[in-house]
Amino acid sequence: MIGFATIATVPGLLIGMVCGLIPLGIALYYRQLRPGLLGWLACAFSGFACGFLGGVPMIVLTTAVVISYAYVNKQDPFTSRAALAEVNFEETRLELLLRLLAGLGNSVRAGLVALLRNKAGFIGFLGVLFFFLMSVFGPLLIPYDGRPHPDRRLPESRTLFQAPSAQFPLGLDWQGRDILSHVVHGGQGLILTAGLAGVLTTIIAVVLGALAALLGGVVDQVFSAFSNFILTIPQFPLLLVLASVLTFESNVALALLFALLSWPTLMRAVRAQVLSLRERDYVEAAIALDLGLWHITLREVLPNMISYIVVNMIFSIRVAMYSIVGLVFLGMVPLREPDWGVMIFVGRQQGALSNSISVWMVLAPVLAIALFQLSLVMFTRSLEEVFNPRLRSGL
Amino acid sequence: MTTFTFILIRQMPGNPFSIKVEQLMREQNLTVEEATNRAGALFDFDPNRPLLEQYTEYMGKLLRGDLGKSIISSEPVMNMLLRFLPWTLFSVGLGLLISFGLGILIGMLMAYWRGSLFDNVMTAFASVMYGIPDYVIALLLIIVAGVQLRILPFAQMLGGSTPGIEPGFRLDYILDLLFHAFLPVFTYVITSLGGWMLTMKSSTMSTLGEDYITVARARGLSQRRLLTAYIGRNAMLPLVTRLAISVGFIVGGAVIIETLYQYPGLGRNLATAILVRDYTVMQGIFLVIAISVVFSNILADLLFGLLDPRVRLGKEDAS
Repeated sequence: MIGFATIATVPGLLIGMVCGLIPLGIALYYRQLRPGLLGWLACAFSGFACGFLGGVPMIVLTTAVVISYAYVNKQDPFTSRAALAEVNFEETRLELLLRLLAGLGNSVRAGLVALLRNKAGFIGFLGVLFFFLMSVFGPLLIPYDGRPHPDRRLPESRTLFQAPSAQFPLGLDWQGRDILSHVVHGGQGLILTAGLAGVLTTIIAVVLGALAALLGGVVDQVFSAFSNFILTIPQFPLLLVLASVLTFESNVALALLFALLSWPTLMRAVRAQVLSLRERDYVEAAIALDLGLWHITLREVLPNMISYIVVNMIFSIRVAMYSIVGLVFLGMVPLREPDWGVMIFVGRQQGALSNSISVWMVLAPVLAIALFQLSLVMFTRSLEEVFNPRLRSGL
Repeated sequence: MTTFTFILIRQMPGNPFSIKVEQLMREQNLTVEEATNRAGALFDFDPNRPLLEQYTEYMGKLLRGDLGKSIISSEPVMNMLLRFLPWTLFSVGLGLLISFGLGILIGMLMAYWRGSLFDNVMTAFASVMYGIPDYVIALLLIIVAGVQLRILPFAQMLGGSTPGIEPGFRLDYILDLLFHAFLPVFTYVITSLGGWMLTMKSSTMSTLGEDYITVARARGLSQRRLLTAYIGRNAMLPLVTRLAISVGFIVGGAVIIETLYQYPGLGRNLATAILVRDYTVMQGIFLVIAISVVFSNILADLLFGLLDPRVRLGKEDAS
């Protein structure tokens, strides 16, 4: 079970429902019924979609939100609801944990509000959500149609292709298989590989960029020279050659290869940002106060870069998807069905383009890719606001 | 760079030689040795020689401008490159120029009339186009305009020129070239226009805030002069550098589009060369790509100094 690319399962639903009992119980304790119920639903939903990997992180998030409704900061009598008699500057471990969780919950709530505020971003979010739901829950409703069906040939037709009909909303492909089921099942692998490639690119770029900026000297020079070298080679042709050199056992290898070729642009940006952030007053103040490397990195530097990093990660995911479909399209990687790229490749080879009856075999995955990429681009608008509070105040 | 591609390409599994040897053995019932000799004569290439020896020979010839012969068709690679390159340069270059010109014009007007209906419509259009991959646009173009609506005579528009037409500097040949280049050029324009528009818009916005624009306005200069000589020229500067850099990626960026439209440029031939493992052709194309990237970077630097007097003066002051 790998995160999101799993198909929704009944045990997952049970796991999610059990996970949801934790925020629900805490909410009942604090008498916050509404957030508790919402938390339980959120846990059940994400558990249903991804099993443990979805349910467990959701416990933390929903619990944090529940606590953020009920939490009263006893150290701060001015802005919180703490009565003067309750003010107490001594903090126990439990109270510290509660304070941190409430902080997390507050940012989750503010983030959700920001997500809803930007119209274009919200539409993008709905688009991404749609593809997520289709990939995870779609297979429950529409079984995968993988075998050829010679028996479905229409009497007057020479091929198995069929135009959309009531029984098969997107028609049949060259082997008489239901195109809709291929669209529903074919997105998972592609989206997951592209997502993984984007995440890996971002990780490599951020780590190397931060190291280059912080360590400076020889390390900086070596990394920068190396990134310049990779930047001289146009990515896609090189990816083509490499993809035909290496035979891929798994999509993870393909994602890794993409990441190894595409980190330099982001790495240079991260390096420049870290260099400039290091000189800011508040970072120098934090260094002067000797707040420690972890505090400075996580609380002072990272929050100022996170919006940029996340937006770039989405961008890498888009480019990765573009490249992977491109590779499949040119026939450079082993074809694995079901996959949107393979549908386009095979459809083109089987002449599906030239006929309005068969065109859905190519048109359906093409539209799916276009809509998914478009949703991602629009979604970044919201993400910018979610991760960069300064953008929110203007609205 | 050359070394890197050489090593990379020779490491590819399934070289054409062994494929041919196997094929000969299967089809004509030859022994391994006979088949090897036959294939060796066919390909003019000995895979059993040490890699280092092949490499020194390759580099030596390269310095003399000899890129070797194609392993498959035994045509000199240099000739092949010279045959493919004009197509790619023509189609992608034309697309790039059109989209750049349109992009800076629309982007400038968007910033000048910011908040208007024009700005909003164009911003939406730009983000939509920016978000969709080029081959998706190409496929949609083929499907919708070519096959479903039959607006474009799609089947005749594939390829570089109509077969049988005689090349020459004549009107009908040039029109024929433009007719065939229409699909790829249109695709390049559509996909890159959005990016140019948005960059030009933000660049113009920051130029509009400059003091010299306020002064120019106070002097009562005409709108047109303000837009062209003051705003446009300054806002274009960062984009010109980007144009020069993207010239370098012309060659590499066209692989899928050229394959799709069967346009006989470098990109499509790179794809075919990879599929049949034609090492020497692949090396040649990669060399062209690398050279164009390096040169366009130098060009970008030179151009920037030429267009922006401030940079030039700054350098003179420093020296």
